[in-house]
Amino acid sequence: MLAPSLAIIAFVVVFPLVYSFYLSFTSYTLLKPVANWNNFANYQRLLQDPIFGQAFVNTLLFMFVTVNAAFLLGLFLSQAIARTIRGQSVLRTLLMVPMMFAPVMVGFQFRWFFNDQVGLVNNVLTSLGLLNGSIPWLVDRWLAMFSIGVAMVWMNAPVVAIILLAGTLSISPELYEAADVDGANSWQKFRSITYPLLGPFITIALTILSLDVARGYDIVSIMTGGGPAHRTELLWTYVPRVAIQESKFGLGAAMSFVTVIVTVAFTLYLFRQLLKSRIL
Amino acid sequence: MSKHRLFAPLVVAGVILAACAAPPAPAPQAPQQPAAEPTQAAPAAPAQPAGDEPKVAGVDRRFDGVTLRAAFIGGGQYEKMYESIKDWEAATGAKVEIVYKGDGFEIDKKLKTDFAAGTGDYDVVWDHTSFFSQYIPFLEPLEKYFTPEELKDFSQAILKSATRDGHLWLIPRHADISVVHYRTDLYNNEQYKAEFKAKYGYDLAPPETWKQFFDHAEFFTGKEPGLFGTNFAGKEEALSGRFYEILVANGGKMLDENFKPAFNSEAGVKTAQFFRELYARKLVPADMTSLLWDGVANNFCQGNIAVHNEWFGWYSYFQDPKNCKVAGKFDLIRQPVGEGGIRSGWAGAHAFSIPASSKNKEAAAALIKFLTSEKIMYEEAKLGFLPVRDSVWARIIADAAKSDNPLDKKRLEIAQTAIANDFFAPPLIAEWIPLTNILTPKLQAIMLGDIDAKQGLDEAAAEVEKMLAEAGYYNK
Repeated sequence: MLAPSLAIIAFVVVFPLVYSFYLSFTSYTLLKPVANWNNFANYQRLLQDPIFGQAFVNTLLFMFVTVNAAFLLGLFLSQAIARTIRGQSVLRTLLMVPMMFAPVMVGFQFRWFFNDQVGLVNNVLTSLGLLNGSIPWLVDRWLAMFSIGVAMVWMNAPVVAIILLAGTLSISPELYEAADVDGANSWQKFRSITYPLLGPFITIALTILSLDVARGYDIVSIMTGGGPAHRTELLWTYVPRVAIQESKFGLGAAMSFVTVIVTVAFTLYLFRQLLKSRIL
Repeated sequence: MSKHRLFAPLVVAGVILAACAAPPAPAPQAPQQPAAEPTQAAPAAPAQPAGDEPKVAGVDRRFDGVTLRAAFIGGGQYEKMYESIKDWEAATGAKVEIVYKGDGFEIDKKLKTDFAAGTGDYDVVWDHTSFFSQYIPFLEPLEKYFTPEELKDFSQAILKSATRDGHLWLIPRHADISVVHYRTDLYNNEQYKAEFKAKYGYDLAPPETWKQFFDHAEFFTGKEPGLFGTNFAGKEEALSGRFYEILVANGGKMLDENFKPAFNSEAGVKTAQFFRELYARKLVPADMTSLLWDGVANNFCQGNIAVHNEWFGWYSYFQDPKNCKVAGKFDLIRQPVGEGGIRSGWAGAHAFSIPASSKNKEAAAALIKFLTSEKIMYEEAKLGFLPVRDSVWARIIADAAKSDNPLDKKRLEIAQTAIANDFFAPPLIAEWIPLTNILTPKLQAIMLGDIDAKQGLDEAAAEVEKMLAEAGYYNK
């Protein structure tokens, strides 16, 4: 019974991958969908493309900041809820609300929040007397990246919080009682008991978090579309821009594969670090 | 546990691998030939007396059991037409399934990928005179489904702009051309008139030149809370099109006669600098670079804009007091003159096409005949869209003559004058949209001050030249 499964996987996963890898060596465009072999021309071109380089750096930076921010916020929320005695179930339910939103909806919601004329953020700041005029949140390079990051963190931190909350609640109370007898304070208990024992949960949470952030195309696309003027360009927006809007499908495929090679290397590095930390 | 250095991102390759999955390639297509020169002018439709009730078409044959799959433009005023489809279904026995709706740019992306992949399976698709050149290898020539008799009522200039290589590729639904909208409550304000005269040395009146347009934008910005002088659609083809329009008015060209980029000329730099100055002096909303047609129209509708370039098609929306603060408080004027002494009106037509892959071409043609029939077009024209049939022009002119609102009549007169004198369409080349996808981010960068106008246009011109060389227009 293995053969049918392998055949389906080959058809659904392997064939498209191999075919798109082949296309990355061709001049295939959507306007002239003919796969003429052009050696490494696409790869040479993307290495000379400053926007690709900018999108690549932006993506790494965005991933680093967003994943860490969502992780830290999720960790904080999990510990705060774990210490809540009354209303914990209500808090847990509330925590799941952001997870119920489709990323597209989150994108629209935060695009409105950060709209410079009618947005919630500017209106609140103005009402509080903290702002005279308006802040162009989705125009300025760093403010726009920050705004997208806030949307990402809002959507993803609850996932981390729920996983880590489950991990925290599974830790034996006896360990904390023993620490109390030894006179440990809250920080010491967190550092020496909670955090180490959360290791496997952290691994799972980070893996899921990274997957979710790396699928953040919808939010970025809705909020800024990678613009204006490529200011918030990430690989997720630039590859479709090149492959579909500019119709250069072969070049877009090459960009994707360079990204894959680097990310595979990066993932291997991270797994080695995890092994070193004895979590895996 | 200090070894837990987990505050680093895990990037999962599978996500990006998934993005790499490519569709199967369709059969090779013959290379396209460079297109003809841009269409220059379209004659205004003659005012004819209205006859009997407007007629429907495409309902004289049964298509029982046929289900047509359609990809149409959606949103706002465009949706009204689709309510009539049930009448066509009742008359023909066929069913219409609208499987995709989006704005024009979304449909463009969808159609390009679906056509190239050989998927999509559409019978009728929305199309546009600016876009169709990209899809020609995948479209069905329409002259065999529409007799000369059926086509004679349509604007011949638009049909000409929908014809390439001797074939008719689309049937127009409605047309539009740029026109300046301005708020009469601001322009007729005596205090503003006096202040303007004192500051600029000439009378405040609707802008006749782009220089005056700029002065007005500068003058009105901040005159009232939240009021900006103007705004333009600031992304996608929309920004490049607006740039193109003023470039032409300033005596410039987008491409020369050999399809070499010519927009980085002196006129081009002046035009780009016009947008840069508007943005740098905060005469437009800061988020202009994220606005498309609906955003720009909404800003005007909410009374946040004093004067701006707009399409005729928004007319009934602007005149609706329930939705728009400017209802009854705005007027129209032909496009301003640029430094080249030219009034340029960017124009185009929404339309329908039939994909070559359709298995129900006769039924699809019947549906298009119905949707572009005199009756349906007349209903759309009542919303403000400019019709593309002479008979419908005659009807709306007759209606406007009876209207209590003089603007109803005036706007049609302006439209006819503009179509006859100012009309210009983008070059009919498949690479027009890809060209704008190169140019628009550069224009945005110029506006935002990320790059100098000349440098930005030069860089865009180099990229466009490379793209057109690769497309076979010339050797670089």
